[in-house]
Amino acid sequence: MRRDERIELLQGTLDLLILRTLLFGPAHGHAIAKAIQHNSDYVLQVEEGSLYPALHRLMKRGWVSVEEGPSENNRKAKYYRLTAKGRKQLGSETTKWEKLAGAIARVLKPAEVKR
Amino acid sequence: MNLDHLDDDIRDHIERETRDNIECGMEPEEARYAALRKFGNVSRVKEETRAVWKRVWLEQIYQDARYAMRTLRRDPMFATVIVATLAIALGLNTAVFSVIDSVLLKPIVYPHADRLVWLNEFDSHLQRDFTSLPDFAAWRKQARSFEAMAAFTPQQAAIQTSNGVVQMNGLEVAGDFWRIISPRPALGRVFGPDEQNVVVLSSNFFEREFAGDPQIIGKAVLVDERPFTVVGVLPSSFRFQLPAWWASSKMDGYFPVTANELARFRAGSVVAELKPSVRIEPALAEIEVIQRQVIQSSPMRPFSPTLYAQPLQEKLVSGVRRALIVLLAAGAFVLLIAAVNVANLLLARASARQREIAIRAAVGAGRMRIIRQLMVENLVLTFIGAAAGLLVARWAIAALIRISPDAVPRLGEATIDTRVLAFTFVVAIATALLFGIGPALSLWRGDLHRRLKDGSRASDGFANLRFRRILVAAELALAIILLTGAGLMLKSFWRMNQHPAGFTPEQILTFKVRGPGTAKLYLAELIRRLESIPGVRSAGISVWMLFSDGRFPNDDAPHIVRINASSPGYYRAIGMRLLKGRWLTESDRHAILMNESMAREAFGATDPLGQGVAIPERSTVVGIVADLKYGKLDASAPAENYIPYSEFGGPVPSTNIAISTPNPAAIIPAIRKTIADLDPAQAAYDVKTLDQALAESIAPRRFNLFLLGIFASVALILAVIGVYGVIAYSVAERTREIGVRIALGAQTRGVVRMVVIEGMGVALAGILIGISAAFGFTRLMANLLYDVRPDDPLTFAAVGSLLALTALAACAGPALKAATIDPVIALRDE
Repeated sequence: MRRDERIELLQGTLDLLILRTLLFGPAHGHAIAKAIQHNSDYVLQVEEGSLYPALHRLMKRGWVSVEEGPSENNRKAKYYRLTAKGRKQLGSETTKWEKLAGAIARVLKPAEVKR
Repeated sequence: MNLDHLDDDIRDHIERETRDNIECGMEPEEARYAALRKFGNVSRVKEETRAVWKRVWLEQIYQDARYAMRTLRRDPMFATVIVATLAIALGLNTAVFSVIDSVLLKPIVYPHADRLVWLNEFDSHLQRDFTSLPDFAAWRKQARSFEAMAAFTPQQAAIQTSNGVVQMNGLEVAGDFWRIISPRPALGRVFGPDEQNVVVLSSNFFEREFAGDPQIIGKAVLVDERPFTVVGVLPSSFRFQLPAWWASSKMDGYFPVTANELARFRAGSVVAELKPSVRIEPALAEIEVIQRQVIQSSPMRPFSPTLYAQPLQEKLVSGVRRALIVLLAAGAFVLLIAAVNVANLLLARASARQREIAIRAAVGAGRMRIIRQLMVENLVLTFIGAAAGLLVARWAIAALIRISPDAVPRLGEATIDTRVLAFTFVVAIATALLFGIGPALSLWRGDLHRRLKDGSRASDGFANLRFRRILVAAELALAIILLTGAGLMLKSFWRMNQHPAGFTPEQILTFKVRGPGTAKLYLAELIRRLESIPGVRSAGISVWMLFSDGRFPNDDAPHIVRINASSPGYYRAIGMRLLKGRWLTESDRHAILMNESMAREAFGATDPLGQGVAIPERSTVVGIVADLKYGKLDASAPAENYIPYSEFGGPVPSTNIAISTPNPAAIIPAIRKTIADLDPAQAAYDVKTLDQALAESIAPRRFNLFLLGIFASVALILAVIGVYGVIAYSVAERTREIGVRIALGAQTRGVVRMVVIEGMGVALAGILIGISAAFGFTRLMANLLYDVRPDDPLTFAAVGSLLALTALAACAGPALKAATIDPVIALRDE
């Protein structure tokens, strides 16, 4: 994959992606980053460090909780888990996002919409 | 806490990435670098993550404040000048607010204070309230609009205490006085409306004269030689908050007005409590109806003063409201001047700090961030100034209370409480915004990059300097207004204290003795002995009274007149001047002496000598004396009649004695001894020189003058500092230019003239604006002046020249400095 084709994440989008990733179950930070990259076929490029302020923002709002959990090689790792509140938020954020994406698509390709 | 494991979490993340990379076939070292690169700046991530949980702006303000403290410590001189300026301005304003708060704003402490009204008859002749007690008795009996009504009148009394017979400032009260005041007595009780021969003591008097002994409650003491029962003592927290025309709120004791005094003519003041939901106008209308009946039933009433009613709180402060508002305005002016001065200093420093600020901007600080940092610096300065200002205010309030204990009602209650602190806090913040806005704006508009490039000679040149000149001119204009106000009051003061030749109040000693009317022989003997004391030039007796049934020729109506029953020695002691006719002698019968005003009032243009009047009985005018202000300085001499003391019959609580002597202080012990020798039960009280008594008569004016004088002086000093600052700065800015001029052959005189013209241009503009503005402002203080017009040209000219001269002096230093610039050094300095 060429570097040019990667897309920098919009502010706020990262929060949505994290919530979406955690829908499949609790995960630690590294796994979240990998999942986002993997699930977007490596198009979305997360500067991995920026994951942490985002995770803490979500914790502060009560959408994500954190727990200690065992990891593969017997070390403790922090697992982030989607809360009920976060699940609800994901729903409304996703709707919002789809509306936005649809609107942008219509603006960019008006002909297709008309056809 | 959520942040506890952040470090571990991040380390874990990077290790996992490294391991993944190794599994992809990288070398361990390469794998670790790749992981780190992918992660980004670890410390920035940590910082941003922490920031999620913090109140970032608070943190930054704390940082700014610490930075500000460091900056200020680097330039202590600068910080000291600003803090001192702010401390004085904020301190004075705090003190004024504290006075205004306790005098004007705080409600009266008595219950139902909002329903208390002042209900009195105003006598235009005496220029004060003068309600007859029988009228009061009729109102109280008949009126339906009032919950309660009380009358009171001051009464000196001699009371037998554990320290012997002492004089006390008593208050005679009638009606529902205690119901309206509702004090909680510290001991015993207060008395009811119908009790007689009882006394309630003030806490202070009780402690001083009865050694705080509770056994005295219920016992009888002799008051003016009659037995009175001490029924109670007021608490030390008791406040006397009723208007007192006799200008003393320090009451020692309270007696009931005797029943027969309520029936005959006697003057007092009336305060009443409206029934809930009754408004003041209908209540007054009701009293007016009652009063008309009272007047009809006693056709020979000597006078008909105007009846009026006013909320008590309003009445209490009506005399000082205008003065306090003038002081508040003066305080605001001083604050403005101080703010302008500080803004000026900050602007000067802002140009010096442009490089620092440009660097901060270059490394990524936003404009708002920089402005906020400057504002925090200002707030730090202001709060240090305000803290120091509170010390200034404490001192100022103590000084005010000391110089004028009785001049302003409730002044003694002024303190720094939470309300005052809140005021200071708000004013401090407003001040910081006010003086910070100029420097912040100059930064906002400026081009930071150019400043960085310009290097050390950074200067925003004329725009900044012109702004500073406008500020200085404004400062001078404000100072002129204040100085003119103070100057007009000073001139009033001077006019008041101008005495006619031959009247030397500092050489006249006055005091009182308890003088029952029967003791004429005693008084005659006392005067004889006093006059034989070495150093005494003359001594005389005087009893002053109002007579309500004076009759003039060609006029049937009765008049209220002032009568001064005095001995011949009194005229000599006071220094009165005879204009026509002759003096009175001890043996005169039915003879009367008038002053000019009285003669004019009674006879108009007719020659009064030899005319007959009925004051107090049929008398013949034998002489006319010149008007003399020996009672009150800030009013013209009242119309007055003099009769021989021997003709005077009625009992009086006290007799005034006046003694003329070159050195009053020196003979006081001899006087006390003479009085004690003659009658051990007697003592002189209220001993003071006439000079002191006159000064007390204008205490409220002295209070105003003192405050306004301080404000004006502070304004003058600040304005001079402002002029000096801007000129000195301008010279420093132009060092190179002036160096070039000198190198090209400019004369010292030419350089000095150039700088002085520059400075005086600003100063004169400010002075002219200030003088025109002062014409408007001084009109507001017309009733604080005496015998001086608010647009007195002499005062305006004097103030204008004073300020022009000081501005010139302020320019002199920088001008001389400019003249001695060495062109070589100035040019190399770049």
